[in-house]
Amino acid sequence: MKRVVEGSQAVAEAVRLARVGVISAYPITPQTHIVEFLSEYCANGSLNARFMRVESEHSALAALIGTVSTGVRAFTATSGQGLALMHELLHWTSGARLPMVMAEVNRALAPGWNIWVDQTDSLAQRDTGWIQLYCENGQEVLDTILQAYRLGELVNLPVMVVLDAFFLSHTYEPVDVPDQELVDSFLPSYVPKFQLDPKDPCAFGSLVTPNVYMEMRHSIALAMDDALGCFSYVEDEFEKIFGRRYGSVEAIHCEDAEIILVTTGTVTSTSRQVVNELRAKGEKVGLMKLKLFRPFPVHDVRMTLMPAKKVAVIDRNFSFGSGGIFAQEIRAALCNAPGHPPIYGYIAGIGGRDVTTDVIKEIYRKTKNSDIPEAESVWMGLQEV
Amino acid sequence: MIEIRFHGRGGQGTVIASILLSKALFQAGYQVQSFPVFGVERRGAPVEAYVRLDKEPILLRTNVYQPDHVVVQDHTLLQSVDVTRGLKAGGWVVINSPELPANMVPFTGFRLAYVDASRIALRNKLGTRTHPIVNTPMLGAVSRVFEMPPMDAIAAAIREEVPRETERNLKAAQDAYDEVRRVGLIEHNGAS
Amino acid sequence: MGEKAEIIIGDHLLIPCSRMSTLSNKTGSWRFLRPRYDEKTAPCSAACPAGEDIAMVEMLTTQGSFKEAWDTILRENPFPAVCGRVCFHPCEGRCNRGEFDEAIAIHGIERFLADTAARNEFKSSLEKRPPRKEKIAIVGAGPSGLAAAYFLTMLGYACDVFEAMPEAGGVLRWGIPEYRLPVSVLRSEIARIEAMGVRIYTGKAVSSDFLSKAQDEYHAVFMGCGHSRSRKLAIPGEDLEGLEEGISFLNAIRRGETASVHETVAVIGGGNTAVDVARSIVRLGGKAIIVYRRRREDMPAFDDEITMALEEGVEIRELLAPVRIDGTGESYTLTVRAMRVAGTDSDGRAAIEPAGEESEEIVVQKIFKAIGEEAAEEWYRPGERGGQQLTLSNSILVRQPDGVVVAYGGDLTNDVKSVVHAVASGKEAAMALDILFRKGLDAIKTELSAYVVGSGPSLSMEIYMAGPRCERNHHVVAYNEINIDYFHLSPRITQPRLLIDERKKTFGEIDLKISANLAIRETERCFNCGLCNQCDNCYLFCPDIAVCHDESKQGRHINYDYCKGCGLCVVECPRNAMILEEEGQ
Repeated sequence: MKRVVEGSQAVAEAVRLARVGVISAYPITPQTHIVEFLSEYCANGSLNARFMRVESEHSALAALIGTVSTGVRAFTATSGQGLALMHELLHWTSGARLPMVMAEVNRALAPGWNIWVDQTDSLAQRDTGWIQLYCENGQEVLDTILQAYRLGELVNLPVMVVLDAFFLSHTYEPVDVPDQELVDSFLPSYVPKFQLDPKDPCAFGSLVTPNVYMEMRHSIALAMDDALGCFSYVEDEFEKIFGRRYGSVEAIHCEDAEIILVTTGTVTSTSRQVVNELRAKGEKVGLMKLKLFRPFPVHDVRMTLMPAKKVAVIDRNFSFGSGGIFAQEIRAALCNAPGHPPIYGYIAGIGGRDVTTDVIKEIYRKTKNSDIPEAESVWMGLQEV
Repeated sequence: MIEIRFHGRGGQGTVIASILLSKALFQAGYQVQSFPVFGVERRGAPVEAYVRLDKEPILLRTNVYQPDHVVVQDHTLLQSVDVTRGLKAGGWVVINSPELPANMVPFTGFRLAYVDASRIALRNKLGTRTHPIVNTPMLGAVSRVFEMPPMDAIAAAIREEVPRETERNLKAAQDAYDEVRRVGLIEHNGAS
Repeated sequence: MGEKAEIIIGDHLLIPCSRMSTLSNKTGSWRFLRPRYDEKTAPCSAACPAGEDIAMVEMLTTQGSFKEAWDTILRENPFPAVCGRVCFHPCEGRCNRGEFDEAIAIHGIERFLADTAARNEFKSSLEKRPPRKEKIAIVGAGPSGLAAAYFLTMLGYACDVFEAMPEAGGVLRWGIPEYRLPVSVLRSEIARIEAMGVRIYTGKAVSSDFLSKAQDEYHAVFMGCGHSRSRKLAIPGEDLEGLEEGISFLNAIRRGETASVHETVAVIGGGNTAVDVARSIVRLGGKAIIVYRRRREDMPAFDDEITMALEEGVEIRELLAPVRIDGTGESYTLTVRAMRVAGTDSDGRAAIEPAGEESEEIVVQKIFKAIGEEAAEEWYRPGERGGQQLTLSNSILVRQPDGVVVAYGGDLTNDVKSVVHAVASGKEAAMALDILFRKGLDAIKTELSAYVVGSGPSLSMEIYMAGPRCERNHHVVAYNEINIDYFHLSPRITQPRLLIDERKKTFGEIDLKISANLAIRETERCFNCGLCNQCDNCYLFCPDIAVCHDESKQGRHINYDYCKGCGLCVVECPRNAMILEEEGQ
């Protein structure tokens, strides 16, 4: 049934529907509402899960590593500094091949203290072996959490479902919250491929010598590759039941587009409106939404972008000394494809600054009006300071 | 698409008012979006919340800069906050106030309505003299002034979201619906 | 590694996982150092003349095992209630905790345990050896005589104690003032000794021919007559009418013959008797001036007692040697000469010499002499009548020409005149006599050396009777052998006392009781040097899980199949109750 719910609540509803067994999280704005909803569900019995209170994000993830090792479905959520604090254990989770789902509400990193949206926190964790899925609206958040459990458990990798602070986490909108039976038919209970069991004692995560560590890392690489195909399979299954699918990338008006904007998160939604408006004026503009970031859908990206004359990537993040992170990834995906279009990188909306339709239109105009990118990254709307 | 901005103070239920309104509008068949001003919440400080409504799915995920209407939950805010900032010409300003504002000049070119929501709240035993709960009566006033959503949608939203003293909130909303004064368009020099 | 350290489950899932039991890896084969439990000797117990197992007493107190703690004292000392009050506690001076923050209040804990035993009417449960045929006569029911009787009874001997005074106790009954040792406390301790089977005959002065007549009935005699006669000043005017001996004055007070004193009184001397006399005078309403030849720090009186005397208003005039006394009976003039320090005496105290020719006159209404006591009769002392003589640490054994063995103890043979030294001599004599009867006189010295606490000379009756304490290593634990990482700074309890104003008015006991809570908190501070208190650090730290709990007294053992000799357990033992040795040694 469609209900007006907050983005955070969409996350919590999905976690409830996924019949998660253990939740552990440490509150941090803007993730707080997710944890509040879930603790309420645990308290009122609508979710039969153990809510583990901990003293830090590091402990929260450590608790879940133990939890999932025993074969239980688990969830956590965090933001910004909290995710940074988890860093060591992010590697551990994927290395130990423990599937779990984390809602990551993008928040800028301090200093200066900033609670608003910025993707640098999640993108800084791109090499930790977590699958990363970026969401555009409340419905997609709910659906993606459900898909994430299915996907992670297929390939034994943890999944980060990423959503924008406030523009998504604190925004109310109509979301179809499915019935439990439907969700159960999509997401069966978790059957671990290995687990700690006192009746059959074993030790995980012990010393590994150079003669096998490399193979273990390679197996993670292969599992990540598997995740690409598995995501498509999961979406097929999801679509059969719920009638919705998102794709690792979504191409909007790209078939004949000369300029394709590449976006993630809520900027995609606003960009859809801009593209509609520009198309109405006869502009040959398209939009590629990137949903799956790890594993990076190189093939889909190439297929979508290669026909365009120019590609403009909007990054709400920055890698110091390099550039916008999505732009880097897009460049890397295209560079071995002969005749690929030039990539224009734009930095916008850092630290919660609004990415308005005007900003997006300006990006389009700048791209259209220059034959080659004026810089690796163009910072939009910088003020005199 | 219509955009509505709520003005209030932290603790007055301003964000709840915006959520209630969006739920009522959704009941009434609109696509909706509502969100608070993104920031740090402090009791007593001026806050804002927003509602977007449209017949089509809402794609825009930005702040609201040029609202179609404004709802002011506390007339004392008029002294410190420019409540008509960005307001589109002819837009409604619905104020919780026992009387017309002394200075009508800022409302020139807009339509004005006022309702003594604080008195209505107290009459219905909602909150205290210093902290009357005015958000549900203000929704009643909004329903009448904007001619949407209908009061039954407002009532349904209140029933869903307000588990305590539901009946008194419903009564307060209806009272405000009945008592709101629609002054209408303020001509130049602040005259109505 | 040689072990299968990983498994593959399904496609592209390669994780480190081991299903092997670590039991197959007998890491004990790597060991070249071997830890073992090795309980050692605490410095306090070695410093205690009675050799009390203090670290164990504190540990048991911490556990709330007050009865067991009290029994542990009783194994080495029949007088916990007395010593908990009057002992000068050399143990605390050697306490390792003193180097960390402050020494444990061992003295106060001893008293607490004795008081708790009295209040709860604990019955001591001490091992007693089967009866033997030999009977021992004991002359003097003071602390040494009673201790000798107590330990001899423990060893199976029948003892008869002969006491000249109408009540047993010796100096405890007739010398030490009530404010330090209430008579009821003494009586209950003596009653416990009598209940063991010791017979005490009071009002039975023994004459000089006793020693020769004793052989008819007794196999040995213990002489513990003490010192009861004041030494002479040897100055003009000493024998003037009205000059009193300090010890006689204290006797009179304990007999109940007290008069109020409203005068200024000079007390000549610097020992415990002098301080006791001065403080008693304060309590009777007078003003006391102690006149002493050397400095305050040279006074043989216990430091605590001197401090409290000063608090109570006693004046100490130091470096003044009496040269003559003049007087009428109403008033006395004590002429003194100023002295000065000139080097150090053979016993470590300041040597003194006249500071000049000048003298000073101190006018007082009364003068007490208290420069020390000596044996009342010459025959009380050994060495006059020949025979085979064996000098031990705190006692002397003499085989009389007529065959009877006489053991001399207490003040007669001790350099330090203290209750605990008296107990030590009674214990030593008891062990010596037991060895004498079993193995002969010649075996005594060698045998005794096996029963010392630490490096001696204190002796342990528990070790002598082959109790658990005989397992203890004689090594005395030093402060740097304690792992102080495991201890927090915490202040020592303050002994609650009567207010000074109240002390000046009454002979009531000065030191007040402490609660069980306070006692436990205080004993928790104890390092328990060298003793295992089951803290389980060895168990927790062992990386090979080689420390195993069991039902033994130790509560745990080391499984040498897996102990690789890393020594962590020994390092992490807070109290040096373990040792690491080279394998095969």
